[in-house]
Amino acid sequence: MKYSVNLTTLIKASLAALVLAAVALLTLILPAEYNIDPTGIGQRLGLTVLAQSAEASPVDPESIPESTASQQVIEITVPANKGIEYKLQMEQYDKVTYEWMTDGGSLYFDLHGEPEGDTTGYFESYAIATLDTMKGSFAAPFNGSHGWYWKNASTKPVAIQLILNGQFQIIGIKP
Amino acid sequence: MLSSQVSCRLGLMLLLILISSTAFAHGVDDSTRSFLEQNTGVQFIPFLYIGAKHMLTGYDHLLFLLGVIFFLYRSRDVLLYVTMFTIGHSITLLWGVLGNIQVNAHLIDAIIGLSVVYKGFDNLGGFKRLLGWQPNTRWAVLIFGLFHGFGLATKLQEFQLPEEGLLTNLLAFNIGVELGQFAALAFILIAINFWRRLPSYERFATLTNTLLMSAGLMLMGYQLTGFAVL
Repeated sequence: MKYSVNLTTLIKASLAALVLAAVALLTLILPAEYNIDPTGIGQRLGLTVLAQSAEASPVDPESIPESTASQQVIEITVPANKGIEYKLQMEQYDKVTYEWMTDGGSLYFDLHGEPEGDTTGYFESYAIATLDTMKGSFAAPFNGSHGWYWKNASTKPVAIQLILNGQFQIIGIKP
Repeated sequence: MLSSQVSCRLGLMLLLILISSTAFAHGVDDSTRSFLEQNTGVQFIPFLYIGAKHMLTGYDHLLFLLGVIFFLYRSRDVLLYVTMFTIGHSITLLWGVLGNIQVNAHLIDAIIGLSVVYKGFDNLGGFKRLLGWQPNTRWAVLIFGLFHGFGLATKLQEFQLPEEGLLTNLLAFNIGVELGQFAALAFILIAINFWRRLPSYERFATLTNTLLMSAGLMLMGYQLTGFAVL
């Protein structure tokens, strides 16, 4: 590689690269990705909306229907060699008490939540284990869908009885 | 010789610093995610596809490749450097996932950004001009390839991939990455070979590599901020 620029050009090029990157980061990328907007330009361009919609938006108590506070009993069947996801829609700080048991074998599960409007695939796990029954409670750390991923590694279907108490709306089995 | 030793040591140091903390989820879309979480056993073609798609849509990997082949005029050199890159990222992709090495995805992606900055600066002859020596470019491609591989590994590690069929699925993903890379490379080479015949290529070489450096700096700033705030 014989190509080489003289020192003045090199310094100019490096400074230009740095300035361009800094300007793009401060006015466009950081406001749009993280809602960090030191110049206020991101706000004026309407870019900060992108990051805000991914964050937990402040809850307007009148705009959302009351979360139900009642007991529900749900039957779910996990087919042989399959995994299914059962989710609840919950607002931030909503609390759920749960108990579930299988009709036989143990299932691998991941109790987790995904923030509303998130497109990055981010999720937060609250419990991961392989059990045939579990009892507990959790409070949603953010608006979004929260629930279980159960995996049936056996060769016959496993039925789960799930008892729920608290503030939530059932989304059900995710395709 | 000195340069390759120095870059070796630097690379190792960075590796050691990074093998800590937890992986962070990003970079895979929803449908791919639910597939990865729910799949069981060997799924060769789907993993092949995910690997190829990840590479073809991974602008960070593509920018680095563009930088690497920018001044490679002989196809033998292109093949050599791309092979070095492939060896590098395959090692850490397999090692990272199979060995369950936890590295922070933001820091890895920041280093991938650094690799783009490095290549732009190197293409301008910056190291020779500023330091009087140039880090061995083959070693650099290999070592930065290792980081690109960790980047690929972190994208898969967000999921509890079932042990059953893991190795085969992983190899399928790896082969997919290479297929995606060659597809991307084909387009880049066609475009670049066409452009090379025009006098504007040399004239814009400085500008192109300046922009490459700038894009790398943007990636670094983006990922380091992500590391700091998330």
